[in-house]
Amino acid sequence: MAQAGVSLKFSGHQHFRYRLVLSILSGKPLRIDRIRADDKDPGLRDFEASLLRLLERVTNGTVIEISYTGTSILLKPGVISGGSITHDCPLSRAIGYFLEPLIMLAPFAKKPLDLTLRGITTDDRDLSVDITGSSLGSKKRGAPPLGGGEIQFLCPIVKQVATLNFVEMGKIKRIRGIAHAVRVSPQFSNRMIEASRSILNRYIPDIYLYSDVYKGDDSGKSPGYALSLLAESSTGALHSAEAVSTPGVAPEDTALLATRALLAEVKRGGCVDRSHQILVLLMMILGSEDIGRCRMGEPSPRTIQFLRDVREVFGTSFKISPANSSDPSSTDLLFSCFGTGYVNTNRSLM
Amino acid sequence: MDDRTHKPHRSAQSGPKADEKKGKAKEKQTGFNEKAFAPKSGRRAEKQGRRNVERDQTRLHVPLLNRTPDDQPPPIIVAVVGPPGVGKTTLVKSLVKRYTKQTLSEIKGPVTVVSGKKRRLTFIECNVDLNSMIDIGKVADLVLLMIDGSFGFEMEQFEFLNILQSHGFPKVIGVLTHLDLIRKQATLRDIKKMLKKRFWTEIYQGAKLFYLSGVLNGRYPDGEIQNLSRFISVMKFRPLVFRNTHPYLLADRLEDLTSREEIRASKGKCDRIVTVYGYLRGTNFRHKMKVHIPGVGDLDVKSISVLGDPCPLPDADSEKRRKLSEKKKLLVYAPMSDVGGVMYDKDAVWINVPGSFTRGNMEIPQGEGEKMVINLQDAGDTLDNAVSRSRIRLLDSSSKTLAVNANVDEESDFAGVSGEELSSDDDDNASYESRTDGDKEKVESDEDNDSQNEFEHGASDERAVGDRGRSGTRVSQRSLRNLPSTSERPDTAVFAESDSELDFEEARKEKWISGVYTQYSDQDILQLVDNEGLEEGVDNVSRWKEDLSARAVESYNKRLGRKKQIDWMKLIYSSSMSPEDIVLGKSIEVRESEVDADDDGLIQVKKNIVNDEVWDMTKEPLVEADLAQWDDDELLDSLRGLFITGGDTVGDIEENDPQDERDGGDFKDLEASGAGTFIDANTGDSESQREESEDDATARAATLSSKKEALKRMFNEQYDDPEASKLDFYDEKKRRNGPAVGALVEGYRPGSYVRIELENVPCEMIEHFDPMFPIIVGGLLPAEECFGYIQARIKRHRWHAKTLKTNDPLILSLGWRRFQTIPIYSLDDHSIRMRMLKYTPEHMHCYATFYGPVALPNTGFCAFNTLSSETSGFRVSATGVVLDIDRSTKIMKKLKLTGVPLKIFKNTAFIRDMFTSALEVTKFEGANIKTVSGVRGQIKKALGKPEGAFRATFEDKVLMSDIVFLRGWYAIEPRKLYNPVTSLLLSEKGKWTGMRLTGQVRRDENLKTPFDKNSSYKKVERLGRRFNPLKIPKKLQAALPYSSKPKLMKAQHRPTYMQKRAVVLEPEEKRAITILQQVRALRKDQIARRREKQEERRAVHRKRVAKEEEKKGEKEKEKRKEYMRTAGMKSKREADREEGRQSKKRKT
Repeated sequence: MAQAGVSLKFSGHQHFRYRLVLSILSGKPLRIDRIRADDKDPGLRDFEASLLRLLERVTNGTVIEISYTGTSILLKPGVISGGSITHDCPLSRAIGYFLEPLIMLAPFAKKPLDLTLRGITTDDRDLSVDITGSSLGSKKRGAPPLGGGEIQFLCPIVKQVATLNFVEMGKIKRIRGIAHAVRVSPQFSNRMIEASRSILNRYIPDIYLYSDVYKGDDSGKSPGYALSLLAESSTGALHSAEAVSTPGVAPEDTALLATRALLAEVKRGGCVDRSHQILVLLMMILGSEDIGRCRMGEPSPRTIQFLRDVREVFGTSFKISPANSSDPSSTDLLFSCFGTGYVNTNRSLM
Repeated sequence: MDDRTHKPHRSAQSGPKADEKKGKAKEKQTGFNEKAFAPKSGRRAEKQGRRNVERDQTRLHVPLLNRTPDDQPPPIIVAVVGPPGVGKTTLVKSLVKRYTKQTLSEIKGPVTVVSGKKRRLTFIECNVDLNSMIDIGKVADLVLLMIDGSFGFEMEQFEFLNILQSHGFPKVIGVLTHLDLIRKQATLRDIKKMLKKRFWTEIYQGAKLFYLSGVLNGRYPDGEIQNLSRFISVMKFRPLVFRNTHPYLLADRLEDLTSREEIRASKGKCDRIVTVYGYLRGTNFRHKMKVHIPGVGDLDVKSISVLGDPCPLPDADSEKRRKLSEKKKLLVYAPMSDVGGVMYDKDAVWINVPGSFTRGNMEIPQGEGEKMVINLQDAGDTLDNAVSRSRIRLLDSSSKTLAVNANVDEESDFAGVSGEELSSDDDDNASYESRTDGDKEKVESDEDNDSQNEFEHGASDERAVGDRGRSGTRVSQRSLRNLPSTSERPDTAVFAESDSELDFEEARKEKWISGVYTQYSDQDILQLVDNEGLEEGVDNVSRWKEDLSARAVESYNKRLGRKKQIDWMKLIYSSSMSPEDIVLGKSIEVRESEVDADDDGLIQVKKNIVNDEVWDMTKEPLVEADLAQWDDDELLDSLRGLFITGGDTVGDIEENDPQDERDGGDFKDLEASGAGTFIDANTGDSESQREESEDDATARAATLSSKKEALKRMFNEQYDDPEASKLDFYDEKKRRNGPAVGALVEGYRPGSYVRIELENVPCEMIEHFDPMFPIIVGGLLPAEECFGYIQARIKRHRWHAKTLKTNDPLILSLGWRRFQTIPIYSLDDHSIRMRMLKYTPEHMHCYATFYGPVALPNTGFCAFNTLSSETSGFRVSATGVVLDIDRSTKIMKKLKLTGVPLKIFKNTAFIRDMFTSALEVTKFEGANIKTVSGVRGQIKKALGKPEGAFRATFEDKVLMSDIVFLRGWYAIEPRKLYNPVTSLLLSEKGKWTGMRLTGQVRRDENLKTPFDKNSSYKKVERLGRRFNPLKIPKKLQAALPYSSKPKLMKAQHRPTYMQKRAVVLEPEEKRAITILQQVRALRKDQIARRREKQEERRAVHRKRVAKEEEKKGEKEKEKRKEYMRTAGMKSKREADREEGRQSKKRKT
């Protein structure tokens, strides 16, 4: 009928997740071509297919067509319905991979989302569940390669996102961290904490690093340990970093890696750390029709591609200016945009 | 007696009278007397208090931010609405005359005038067509509702008010006209009072109602109009939710840009390219926004450009004057009404001169030359065709004529070389040009907003083209889009030049820093470079050189550690560098390897092949080598300032200084690197760390002061008020970006006069264009482009005569759109299911679910069964509000399956005729069934023999005569009909017909309704049931307990003793009875006589009443006669007037 044709066209397997998110949020049909077309093993990977399945379950009326070779998909988005959903994530990617797009979608669902994801909770590719959100209930942990972890993600729904105005970085006032060890000696987490404190203690006293040891069934199927750190500034800016165990590396070294990554992240500046830039920018775009501002460090390549895609989808571009124009040395940038006034159309008034 | 002295009056010496005299009296209370309304009891006081609080609560509401800009707001739309002949045109003319001192001969489309220093008004007259009323109701800020005082309210006005109500209620002012037709003052007073009362109940108590008396010189009296205009000028407007979330535009001009050739070739049936002009209203218009034109459909915006304001508000210098200057007052903009003959286009201003070269202008004597020019317009063919048809031979003897083959390739090549001339000639290909022109204009109009500037534009255009340099830039821009990998060349080339021409680079940077630099596209940069004296075109830069430049950039960046300011916006939005390249500008190792692979511009592909999997990762891999630097204690200490415990100044400066040093001294660094001090970024960092320690105090002081400055400014900004700082931000933004970037970031602001180019517009819109019908361009939010099932709360309008039926088509006006759809009505059935309703309830809300374009929840709508003006009844059939949007529905329809017993065992029975196959039975195994008599049971299993029969168990034995039924629910979905009301595409705009009902189709086609014999109603004959007497065996009876034993049922057949005995009265008894009988007889007689008397009296009365009635009837008849006479005269007068008008029209 008067249904619009495919209005969004992308190619390549990169940036797969947030492109799906943008399509679903904007309601515009999406076509992605040339997904690993030149690869030895062309087409979608199992985790991508699994993500598509998950999105299909979270939404109502979504039509996903995957080409025979799997190198192109067509997504006709439906409405985000939410509700209670359980999903088994494949072991090729961690839960963080699936969680990230859903965090972007969940506030705009029809019903509050109650999502249970099973799989690997922490690995070196995706954000671990410790960092991703505070509304997470981590029931079981699962380290790669066999996973066996389980998390629960509860998200309320919103009518409209408020305009973000986050320019003051503030100063770091507290550092929190979780050192967890599953199916290895519980001493490992203490060793990681020790090592991390050796660096961080010089800065502030308010450092709490929790040792989180899981036993029995809750500790998943494979051994592993990791340290996740979170630095919070006086204005609420968060910087995170984490390091995951690799075979043959002492827990102290893992901890040092995480700690240094955190310091590097802090040094980079901005109110938002690099891994969450996209989420914050998306929420700014979706904010009410006022100017939202946020101070960030330099954008990551993902963020840059995201900015381009967002312009394609919502027709909004960001104004990016040096945060401190009087001080040319700082690399901090001020991202400001005029929100689209996105209203949660899925919200029911009945 | 007369001379008797009277006792003189003695004035009071004390008391209230005396006080009054002396002025000592208590001051008279004026205004509200508190005591008078003091509560008399505690309970009453409490009640009153509660009521007051409640009343206050109703007054509270969530404040809505008004998105209309305070400076340069769009003109307020004043719609004049009313039935025909009420004086709408006269009112608009009077108001326009009042504001502009001009008399418009005819009013077509919107008329914009300047009404004050900060206010402009757009008047639009609304015709009686319901479609127009709907559209106007959606955009009008102020409605002048005109009422014929001599007639009263009409149906259209109530319909219009209902439309307004469901689309957010704009301000309404009533205007009562034709009051001069009422002679008697008393009647006039009564009519005014009556109409006012009715008006108030419709709008609100105390709504403003104006009275316009007669017409003088074709206008209303000046005094009354002045009053009205004063009222309009002080009117305040409350933002309406829908308009506060959508951009929209009331088109005051429409142009068809399709090439004549294309139209000719398709005989006018091709889709058109149309531009609409108007003031943007509502919110900001974004890029890539789709629009909906009610009456036409959803359209894609090809381009949008801001034009100079054709009806500008008084500017700064005239602002100084207290009053609006007379010159400004004269400004009126009404392109559709053809006022002044001036049209503003994006690059020209057209002045309509009824010139000598136009056809059909026979009054002007035409010379030879003029005739030739006019004849030239007759050329039916293009030159191309004419040449190809011509039979020119090169030589007399040659047998073949010259063939002209239009080689497309060649032509396009040619266009590539000097496209400017070609495409500017060609109307068709002008799309690209228009884009660039639009950009340019935006830049220019920022510098100089004077609309007069546009006159020179033609000339400046030429110059601008020259400035832009070679035609090569255009080609490169095309390639930007097509070949993302190659197109980074221009950028790198620019940077490369900076190596040799440092001063230029520095100048550029200065511009960036000072923030004056407007956002230029790549071409502009190129062009700048060009101006600086770069000889070679980018296209001509040979490969090696290009690589050289890239490498130069690398090394440059390497040296700087890329701490110089980067224009991220340019890199991200207007370059096609891959994101990795943008970011990796500084991390060299990766980049270098890429540069090697850069040769044939296939970076992407190669990379993909080399790394077999590029993971889509959020977390960036931790590189131990990168983090190794954190071993350094100094570096660790340098971070101190970022923590609350760290000192404020020391850490910051320690942190910033190295960068400052590097940034401030580009020059130095370059030289240093020339000496080859730095090898890579990491070591470079540590090197600079060391250098920083021996930093001089001056740099430190400079940064300190700059920091202080920034802090101070920030403090000031926040200290003043948050609003001011916000405004500042706006201003700053505007100043820094110019309109181009402004539009990129925030879209087009309301209040600007824009030209929107629309693609694929149905040709009927142009062919049947009528300026009397408003054209509204409404922006659609992303969600509103989708389709789905919409659930709404709906209530049939109580004035609508019929109930609404499920699955009957209904026309909805929802959001911007008007469309026909098929709703299903439903009600919530005890929160278990949505149960379908056949008809809407009488006086109750119900739910309606229909398929259509999504609208945000809480959007109001109104519904119509028909839009045609022939309908006599009230056309608004329902109003409602959107509640929910989904892609599926959950509406259930009750379905009863019936069957009859086949065979009955004890509590088990075989049932047949409920299903047709065993498969169906298996689907319903375990389902509850019930007999009509109320015996419940369950379906057990399908039977083999009669197909569809099954075994069922019941709680009791059923009878063969019982009907067994299964109560089921069947999910139904609304039919997917979305039929937009395309009224603007019709030649007769009011004649739109949508989908008809079956009955209507049959009636129209003269078809008979098919008759199904089984569907006809027949008399149901129910035989009386005969039940056999219950016989209980004697043996069983004996065994039963007494209470269960059958009781004797036979009636007594012998008379009882009491019945049998004879009674003989005693004499006194007999006497008593006789007396009683006599008394009764007397009484009866008396009553009868009384009744007779009464009847007589009544007859007399009836006679009298009849006489009176007769008299009254005569009077009534006379009255009616008088009324009809006046009415006839009025209609005759009206007809005369109408005739007069027509004859006048004919004359002109």
